[in-house]
Amino acid sequence: MTTTTDLRSRVEPDRVHGSLYTDPAIYAQELERIWYTTWVYVGHTSEIPQPNDYVRKNIGPQQVVLTRDRTGAIHVLHNRCSHRGNLVCDADRGNSSSFRCPYHGWTFANTGELLGFPFNQGYGGAQAKERLAGLGAAPRVESYRGFVFASLAAEGPTLREHLGAAAERIDQLCRLSPEGEVELTAGWVRHEVTANWKMLVENETDGYHPQFVHSSIFSISGSGIGALYSDKSTAVTRALGGGHSENDLSPEFRKLGVPMGWAGTPEARIPDYAAAMRAAYGKETGDEIMINGSPHVMIFPNLFIAEIQLFVIQPLAVDRTVQHVTAIQFAGAPDLNRRLVTQCVGSVGPAGMLLADDAEMYERNQRGVAQRQPEWLDLSRGLQRERTDERGFTVGTATDETSMRAMWAHYLTLMDPA
Amino acid sequence: MDDDGLVASEFATVRVSLDTQGNSPRLRLEDLRSGAVRFLDALELESIVWAPEGFLRELLDPSRHRWRDDGSAGGGP
Amino acid sequence: MTAVEEGTIALAEAAAFLYREARLADAWELEAWEALWTDDATYHVPVDDAQDPRTHMSIIFDNRNRIATRIKQLQTGKRHSQRPLSRLCRSVTNVEVLGQEGTDTVVTSVVQVLESRDRGSTWWVGRVTHRLRRVDGELRMAGKKVVLVDSDRALPSMSFLL
Repeated sequence: MTTTTDLRSRVEPDRVHGSLYTDPAIYAQELERIWYTTWVYVGHTSEIPQPNDYVRKNIGPQQVVLTRDRTGAIHVLHNRCSHRGNLVCDADRGNSSSFRCPYHGWTFANTGELLGFPFNQGYGGAQAKERLAGLGAAPRVESYRGFVFASLAAEGPTLREHLGAAAERIDQLCRLSPEGEVELTAGWVRHEVTANWKMLVENETDGYHPQFVHSSIFSISGSGIGALYSDKSTAVTRALGGGHSENDLSPEFRKLGVPMGWAGTPEARIPDYAAAMRAAYGKETGDEIMINGSPHVMIFPNLFIAEIQLFVIQPLAVDRTVQHVTAIQFAGAPDLNRRLVTQCVGSVGPAGMLLADDAEMYERNQRGVAQRQPEWLDLSRGLQRERTDERGFTVGTATDETSMRAMWAHYLTLMDPA
Repeated sequence: MDDDGLVASEFATVRVSLDTQGNSPRLRLEDLRSGAVRFLDALELESIVWAPEGFLRELLDPSRHRWRDDGSAGGGP
Repeated sequence: MTAVEEGTIALAEAAAFLYREARLADAWELEAWEALWTDDATYHVPVDDAQDPRTHMSIIFDNRNRIATRIKQLQTGKRHSQRPLSRLCRSVTNVEVLGQEGTDTVVTSVVQVLESRDRGSTWWVGRVTHRLRRVDGELRMAGKKVVLVDSDRALPSMSFLL
């Protein structure tokens, strides 16, 4: 097992050691200290709208079931029968007040409570329910504007404390709906990469790579995205605390000054949406929301909101990660939502015109860091020009590695809490 | 319930239909995994609507009905 | 003006078309492959074939414009997930003519592709539905849908022409 002293010697302010991506002992420690301790995004309330709805989800390699009970309360249950450890739920989603294990028929309420088992005389009668365990449940489950997070630790910071300023980015996203709500109803594409999960987290708000990795699509599609991440861009990279970070592109979108310019969708193509936004927020505020655009924020450790799509990062092994992705859908915006699905499907997933190339970089990177020399990965870009903004956040230019440095600093506080 | 009257989840598959062979209509429930059938008349259905929450929870205990081992009648309606 | 000729396409001709399409895709004959599509074509690789691709996520759901974009992206030589190009060999089997839908003949088949890359080899298998149409005397694809056996699982990158 890697000792924490060891770990501190592998993370420096401007570089990190390659073994952090390849060492199975460090990965095992990350599961315990990060994935099974801190708040992890699990799912969205729109995926379980009705009482007794459930969906299967995950917390890293842990399979969980996100349920809404008959009273509306939300639970995150481990998918493991308390009898012999069998998986209780098979279906990706369903509606049931209770779950019956296929192995011996043990039956649990969707709150996790054990309701009974066949032939109970073998346990001395029905009262045995009192001493036998139910399904394991995440001790802490909280949601913020429909985004459900769980912590497998009984104690720790609250979800609001964990999210900090990143909560404002969720607010920004929800405001793009005339009803103030996001709906994740478009289904998921799952993309597996042979790479460590942190390669993905770091890439999500790395503004240095798009012009290189995505030049093939930018050059032929006339996309303005490349320019957002140039040295001339007024966009910034901001560390939001708690390991969260963003590429704040809104200065560029404001320069554009066109409602929905951020989405590359002329207002004339989505007149119902634009009208609904102005009706909901008033002309001035509605226009401002539609000009400022959607966030590009990485909420540590696994939720990445990238303007029109939402990614959930799931580590499965030290060098195996699944990225789950869906098109964000806004309540009360059917005309916009269809365009978002179309746009998102073209960009993401195994065949995506953007994400297949990101994935190629993760995988090449994973093979690269396994090579012996020079051992370290450089994180120094923009360190000399970093500043602190009026709210005390560290800010770099659009292409600086401010977000990675902040992620690693937070990583150390979790991995070595002393 | 789908067009064929199926109410199904990964845990159970039941066909629900309206039976009019008796002197009043009743609900016919068929457990498609075992073939067992039960009829529910209007008053029985009303009673289920008004039953306390604990009533259904108790019914979901497998030892309460189908898988009893105390010698009393079990194994189907 | 293009002339669309109605009438069901025979099995042998449909199969020959499918084999040719497979060969062009394997050999990265991008322009020749692109020329097989009609102007109103759709190219679809669903996650869940029961869902409407206009409202639900797909692995690929391209209209004719996007097929062109996909080809152009590969032609830039900077599509990193295809640098170097995957080495491919596919077999097309179980070809059946299912019937006629308007001007199009619906043909089903099974495709198995072995893709070789640095990351290792991936075996892609799916049930394919082609909508074939005779335009100006030549067969064209008006639609191609590939339902992969493992479409609802986590898949590695798939940036070649399936």
